[in-house]
Amino acid sequence: MRKERDRLSVEWVKLELLRTAYATRGGLLSRRDPRVVIGWYLIFAVVPWLTHNITVLAGLFVICAAFVVLSRVGPLVLGLFIIGFVLESVYVLIAAWMFGGDLGTVLALVELTLKLATVSLASMAAFVSLDPEKLSDALLSLHAPAMVSFGVSYGYRMLPILMEEFHTVVDGHRLRAAPLPSKGLLGWRVVVRTATTVVAAFYPLMLNTAKRTRTTVEALETRGFTYAAEHPDGRRIRLAHLRATREDALLIAVSLLLIAAAFAAGHSYPLYGAVQ
Amino acid sequence: MSGPDGTPAIEVSGLTFRYPGADDDSLRGVDLRIERGDFVAVIGGNGSGKTTLCKSFNGLVPHYWSGTFDGSVRVLGQDTRDLTVGALSHLVGYVYQDFGNQLVRPTVRDEVSFAPVNFGRPDHHERTEEAMGLLGVAHLADRFTWQLSGGQQHLVALASVMALRPGVIVVDEPVAELDPARAELIYAALADLNTRLGTTVVVIEHHAEFVARHARSVVLMADGAPVWHLPTRQALARAEELDAHGIPAPQVVRVAQSLDPSGPVPLTVTECVDRLRERGLAAAVADAPREGGDPGPPGPVTATAPVAELSGVTHGYREVGGDLSLVLKGLDLTLREGDRVALVGGNGAGKSTLLRLLTGLKVPREGTVRVGGTDTRTTSAAALADRVCYLYQRPEQMFLKDSVREDVAMFPTGRGAADAAALVEEVLERVRLAGLAHRDGRLLSGGQQRRATLGIGLAMRPALLLLDEPTSSLDTASRDAVTAMLAALSGSIRCTVVATHDMHLVAEWADRVVVLQGGRVAADTDPAGLFADEELMAAVGLVPPQVVQVGAGIGMSPVPLSVAELLARLESSAVPAGKIPSRAGRSEHA
Repeated sequence: MRKERDRLSVEWVKLELLRTAYATRGGLLSRRDPRVVIGWYLIFAVVPWLTHNITVLAGLFVICAAFVVLSRVGPLVLGLFIIGFVLESVYVLIAAWMFGGDLGTVLALVELTLKLATVSLASMAAFVSLDPEKLSDALLSLHAPAMVSFGVSYGYRMLPILMEEFHTVVDGHRLRAAPLPSKGLLGWRVVVRTATTVVAAFYPLMLNTAKRTRTTVEALETRGFTYAAEHPDGRRIRLAHLRATREDALLIAVSLLLIAAAFAAGHSYPLYGAVQ
Repeated sequence: MSGPDGTPAIEVSGLTFRYPGADDDSLRGVDLRIERGDFVAVIGGNGSGKTTLCKSFNGLVPHYWSGTFDGSVRVLGQDTRDLTVGALSHLVGYVYQDFGNQLVRPTVRDEVSFAPVNFGRPDHHERTEEAMGLLGVAHLADRFTWQLSGGQQHLVALASVMALRPGVIVVDEPVAELDPARAELIYAALADLNTRLGTTVVVIEHHAEFVARHARSVVLMADGAPVWHLPTRQALARAEELDAHGIPAPQVVRVAQSLDPSGPVPLTVTECVDRLRERGLAAAVADAPREGGDPGPPGPVTATAPVAELSGVTHGYREVGGDLSLVLKGLDLTLREGDRVALVGGNGAGKSTLLRLLTGLKVPREGTVRVGGTDTRTTSAAALADRVCYLYQRPEQMFLKDSVREDVAMFPTGRGAADAAALVEEVLERVRLAGLAHRDGRLLSGGQQRRATLGIGLAMRPALLLLDEPTSSLDTASRDAVTAMLAALSGSIRCTVVATHDMHLVAEWADRVVVLQGGRVAADTDPAGLFADEELMAAVGLVPPQVVQVGAGIGMSPVPLSVAELLARLESSAVPAGKIPSRAGRSEHA
């Protein structure tokens, strides 16, 4: 018996992606100046690599996890992260055991896992909070090329359309492709079919997109996109609304304090991996 | 907004243009003058150079499309060769046929302010607010553009070019991707810009009815040059010439000219009804029986075997915010063998949802959908595809392979049909695409694409064929071809359901009309019954074909469904002139 599901269905994944991309859930970081959010992210993307102290790393991990909660990261992204994190941990243990490692090996691998996990958490918290306009404005103000910042916002603009189109094409394959004779052992035929369908769906998807962009490129020309690349006025106007406030400063200050606290804890209760 | 020096809005002289790499000129010696403040419709068949001509107004030809360019185009007195595309866009705004692709920014406000900000206008904020106000989209300012309906997207596209305050605005086929009610809104907005700001409006248009109601002058293009440029009434009086160029005259013109070939043509239903009244042709026909005898009470009297049944069906979608929006609420419907069903209703009435439920791609949240007696919950969509075929609204969504032949063959060969090869050839013949079968479907013209998708459907040999807006964005000639093809299919398909806004298709093809409203079946009737129920038509935002309105206006009951029928009934009940019954009240319907 088939049933319409509200969770763990294709529709749900599509909605979750939109909610994530367009920061519809709000949250602590989404109210901050986008440049500050990117700065905040860079801090947490760099700091974990400056230490081998697992206590410090655990502290940083907890801080980032708290920000993920405050930024209202959706269940899809969070779920994928947790699955990845758990699998990685299991792999670490198995690898250590298989290759005859001891506690030291485990700790060394835990260190790397923690670093990667912390950076992942920070990126989730930051990018879930940036909607396309904010992200492209922030990139522009950080002197990224105009093409990059526009590309980012245009990519977001195309996201819902592409998802819808992709779904339609996959549905077309479902209806019109040869039916599977059987599912095969452990459903391997289903897996192969799904994989080939997804690959085959890219051909119509790319061609349809190419057709769309013809109009887009002409429209960009008439609306001064090239002109703006050569004249700075547009950039100045576009960025005029960006203002870092006292709250933004507070966010950075609190984050730095928390990092300092993590390092202090690490100093008092050090725990090291392979390198002493 | 007439120029101080009397310069026209657009002056084209001796313009010849050839796209790079093309074998023929797209424009051949065009001479054209468009006065300031005019509302011009550019009409003409596919490939007549309408779009290329209009792209020469805003400099995309020759600055962006750098082909061979001879002659000159002057916009508001300035030669387009002397200005950049950017500078020209302050003079001429351009809204594309596929306007959705012209929206490049995430939110409406950002979209509208995009051009003024790019050009570094210090008054960009005022311009943005002004343009959104002009087009009535200010309340949408913070919405994401992908959340908008087609009509709203078109208005935003208009607002975003109006933000540069151009003196001329070009709109390419607004009706192509919008339903008639929304297209009417766009025309109202254009007429408003034209009268209030004096903006010169140029529309490329296939539908003579919109031209008749809104344009002040008409340019007929053929083979890359204007045939003539005439005031609308004179232009539409040349019905035969228009027909030869693939633009059938509006039905009111055809009615009037059949009765009085030399008289001035009416442009609206009201004018046509008045004209008929003057000739004493009004209520004399009111009580005349319709040919074919008593029409009987509206509603299907069929009792053939059911092909599909929906009972108590409730279905809806989750929104981004997380709310469930119900589209169908306890809907009951039985589709029977031999039915030609037109499924009508406003946007969001659930037409597409209903079709998707019948394919089994979706299963209802409540209630049951049975196709050929099988509950769709107990089987897969792939298995149901043996019995049901669904053709999407946009043909390119149906093209999964790189040639039409492979697309048509995909289903029969995949299912191992023994006669697959013969079937594919037969189907390609039938949809008249055998010669183009090696081409990618995406590269065909609109009408050919639609026929290709019909071919894909035919090769699936379904019992139940579902079509979503099969005639949208087609020019009138291609539309008639598709309608004729649908009629010819009735032999091989047990039941056909068409979701549509096209009332001409409903009038000419359907024998049963199901009206969806508020998630339920609001009426289950036949075309004449639908058009006679003015209250219902208004409630679901549908406009009956002109001939139906004329028939109702002169008191015909039941209403006629085609020009031929109206004329035949007028003739059979002809009364001596001078015997004019007074039924003044009836003309309000027009």
